[in-house]
Amino acid sequence: MSVFVSDDEGLMTEPIIRPGNHMARTGKRWSGSGQVRPIKQSNMDGVHESVEAEDYMSPGQLYSTESGRLFHAGRILIVLVGLPATSKTLLSVAITRYTRWLGVRTKSFHVSEYRRQMTDTVPDEYFSAVPQTKEGIEYRQKVMRIVHEDMVRFFNDTKGQLAVYDALNIRRSERKDIADKFSTMNIKVLFIESHMTDTKLVDRSIKMAAQSSDYYGLPKVEARAEYMKRLNLNKPLYESMSPEEGLSYVEYINFGQKLRIYNNHYGYLTNKIVFFLMNLREKKGCVYFARCGTSDKDNYLNDEELNEDGKKYSEILTDLVLNRINERRRKSHGARTPAARQISLTPQSSQSSLVPTQASIDRETYRGDHRVRQTPSWDGADEDSFVVWTAPRKRTYDTARFFQESGISVRQRSQLQQLNPGVVADMSDDQIRTEYPMEYSEWLKDPYHYRFPRAESYHDLAVRMEPLLLEMERMRGDILIIGHESTLRILYGYLMACTCTELPSLNFQRDKLIEISFSPFQNKADHIPIPPVDSYSSKWSL
Amino acid sequence: MAFYTVSNVENLRVCVVMVGLPARGKSFIAQKIVRYLSWLSIKAKCFNVGNYRRQSGSGHPNAEFFDFNNTEAFGIRQKAAEQAVADMMAWYERENGVVAILDGTNTTRERRDWILKICREHAIEPMFLESWSDDMDMVLRNISDVKKSSPDYEGIDPEVATNDFLKRISKYEKVYEPLDHELDKNLTYVKLINVAQEVIINRIQTYLESRVVFYVMNLHIRPRCIWLSRHGESLYNVEKKIGGDSWLSERGFRYSYKLPDLVKQSAGDADLTVWTSTLIRTQQTAQELPYKQLHWKALDELDAGVCDGMTYEEIEEKYPGDFKARDENKYEYRYPGGESYRDVVIRLEPIIMELERQENILIVTHQAVLRCIYAYFMNVPQEESPWMSIPLHTLIKLEPKAYGTKVTRIKADVPAVSTYKEKGTSQVGESTQDGTKFRNILLNLPESSK
Repeated sequence: MSVFVSDDEGLMTEPIIRPGNHMARTGKRWSGSGQVRPIKQSNMDGVHESVEAEDYMSPGQLYSTESGRLFHAGRILIVLVGLPATSKTLLSVAITRYTRWLGVRTKSFHVSEYRRQMTDTVPDEYFSAVPQTKEGIEYRQKVMRIVHEDMVRFFNDTKGQLAVYDALNIRRSERKDIADKFSTMNIKVLFIESHMTDTKLVDRSIKMAAQSSDYYGLPKVEARAEYMKRLNLNKPLYESMSPEEGLSYVEYINFGQKLRIYNNHYGYLTNKIVFFLMNLREKKGCVYFARCGTSDKDNYLNDEELNEDGKKYSEILTDLVLNRINERRRKSHGARTPAARQISLTPQSSQSSLVPTQASIDRETYRGDHRVRQTPSWDGADEDSFVVWTAPRKRTYDTARFFQESGISVRQRSQLQQLNPGVVADMSDDQIRTEYPMEYSEWLKDPYHYRFPRAESYHDLAVRMEPLLLEMERMRGDILIIGHESTLRILYGYLMACTCTELPSLNFQRDKLIEISFSPFQNKADHIPIPPVDSYSSKWSL
Repeated sequence: MAFYTVSNVENLRVCVVMVGLPARGKSFIAQKIVRYLSWLSIKAKCFNVGNYRRQSGSGHPNAEFFDFNNTEAFGIRQKAAEQAVADMMAWYERENGVVAILDGTNTTRERRDWILKICREHAIEPMFLESWSDDMDMVLRNISDVKKSSPDYEGIDPEVATNDFLKRISKYEKVYEPLDHELDKNLTYVKLINVAQEVIINRIQTYLESRVVFYVMNLHIRPRCIWLSRHGESLYNVEKKIGGDSWLSERGFRYSYKLPDLVKQSAGDADLTVWTSTLIRTQQTAQELPYKQLHWKALDELDAGVCDGMTYEEIEEKYPGDFKARDENKYEYRYPGGESYRDVVIRLEPIIMELERQENILIVTHQAVLRCIYAYFMNVPQEESPWMSIPLHTLIKLEPKAYGTKVTRIKADVPAVSTYKEKGTSQVGESTQDGTKFRNILLNLPESSK
């Protein structure tokens, strides 16, 4: 009674007997790669792109299978649960981004997006989890039906492995219906209930939600009022999840400060998602990417110091980034608390060149006050943190020198060690083509997975950098990452959900600073010009 | 070079402080964490307070010793804890330790605060890991395991030992203060309720901690066994070729016919699941087994890249530099276009996690992959693991216990070639003048009857 189920859960076929002695391995680790797919515009976040293509392949994927499913994890539906303003959309997008990076075919289904795309007018009643009017009930059922049908199609027709269902789901009966419906299709259902007890977090979420496209064009106060209406409509209807429901669920409290996991028996992938949730933080700052300054030879083998232009570049970069961050922080100070008004909003040059944020003001104001929980101050602990990560090479950490002099923490990160180019180090394309013609043609076929002799591939680099990706997720404030183009590609590729076809050809020049800003639905990449070296006169004493 | 160098400041060090009544699987979990982190090249060590107490001369104490009103004994136990913590701190300093596990009951808040303070003074992040259980079946099972393997009950009648142990637990229950939702809300902690039926994770501060929690969430402590076997002798084995996707040889098929009996002999009527790779030779080896089977791509043999399908002699001739480089650092060496042992370890991580979650599993896979899996269960260091000899046509049984893993091997009486290659030669086979001291790891084990 042997059941042959392979990693990809297709039925095993009879092995093909090849004639003679040619029994070499035919199953490659990477099937399907090497085909050219149209490359999307690289400053667009790819997290909402389709994963339905046959050869869909993502950067952190360990291997590929015929069915497109990994880790014997089967098919999983994640159902988010929570009142409005509990960061459900952000969670679903973040889970989608991370699991896609791992190679899982994941898609988020945001009910709000479906509703926005409907052409008829939405009755007010729709926004209640339990509408009272016939019109409201019907409209709600219609939207839900469309979403459910799309999810079923995703699983059955397009090799989908993980769907994330982003809706309120605050009623027991609703949850039971979904669990029943998808369990009978042999899809595992895991609920993630997000709730917030920290009033500061709730306020921020409301503020963010009031900026959503639903309220486009409305004045702030009105948008908030509209939004509060939706929230208050549902509050009394909320039935918190409890173990008695007999469902598998994760309680996600105050944005990951605490997690409780009940009845989780779904295996590797769901545990991996919980692992990710432990590292996910609400981002208030931006991630910046910059190349290091120039050195004389600018090659791989020598660990050179910066040349004069390189030093100038690092001054320009320091000014540019600090101004950019300070400008944003000044803007964020709308109404200030009376206590905070006494604190200057210009940088305190003696300690730091950064404008204080609300978190730094709170930290100062309440320092040593045992009645108030103290604001932590380690790297990335809060919105006012700013850290520079550099690769462990002279010219990259020298580029961060003026940050250090301005009182900013600079950390050398060994994971930012650039891609090891192996035997083709410091060779031009032409040289490689002449000296390693075979290797060159192989590389052209699959620049993401191919490794030159003694080199690392981009895939090796991505797998090696996973801890850094998760640490990047943990940082709530600003980070500037100064690194080699190869490592920036990986980090950017993760944040902007690039496929592995796109990733090796991402371009990072020395005349651009990349700024990634975060919003629940998608990330945004801005290219900020870095002024040329010769136009700049030094203000630092070198 | 450690692969997972993990820190958000430069020198992140974590102390996992175990919390819980006796017989809640704490030592088992502690040992497991050490093995997992070492396997990923993160320096980890367990400090067991009980061992320190035994070394101080209280080898076979009865339950009265653990009465918290017994001031003399309490002093001895306090001293043992102090000694363990002192050694732990010295280990961080002298050996650049990254994760230490303090394995003790640490049942009172007072004791935990004391540890917390020492950790913070030494810039070490404390993470409390509590195993809480009211499942008496599980507790009794653990007791029976402990009294068989714990040095405290050496040579003592099992029934007497069980009663004494239950009494010991009741002494702890009197003072036990579990981690509390409110009182401990500012600590970094993980609470496992009835193993992993419910898990509470509070204020995880670093990536490394999250990694440990992820691992622990996959553990269970129900008794089970894991069987490992290489595929039967393949045509490529006979031709001394490496890699490939060849069929079994005639002798290899004979092994596959015998395998169901061997497994039955060892497992009895227990149900199990068979895992194979996606390569033909492992599936042919498993084809007679009357159990559910799963094929994992991640169990495929180490990819020898351009050397796939070559003999060691051919490799030495064609790629002399590579051949030598591999012998010098076999763990890190990567075949051109292929994989290194470290690469294999990385792709095996999901397998290890799933293996921890499952019960009885028989894995039929390949030499290099088996070495990596075996190294994980037996804590074999990475300098040694690629050189272990794992003969063909042999079934290995692993039984995870609280204080280590028990290994037995069962040889099928089917001859096969040796595919073992010593350092510095291109010849396969085990010679008598063996230069590598580690290769006999398996051969020295007790062998069960044929």
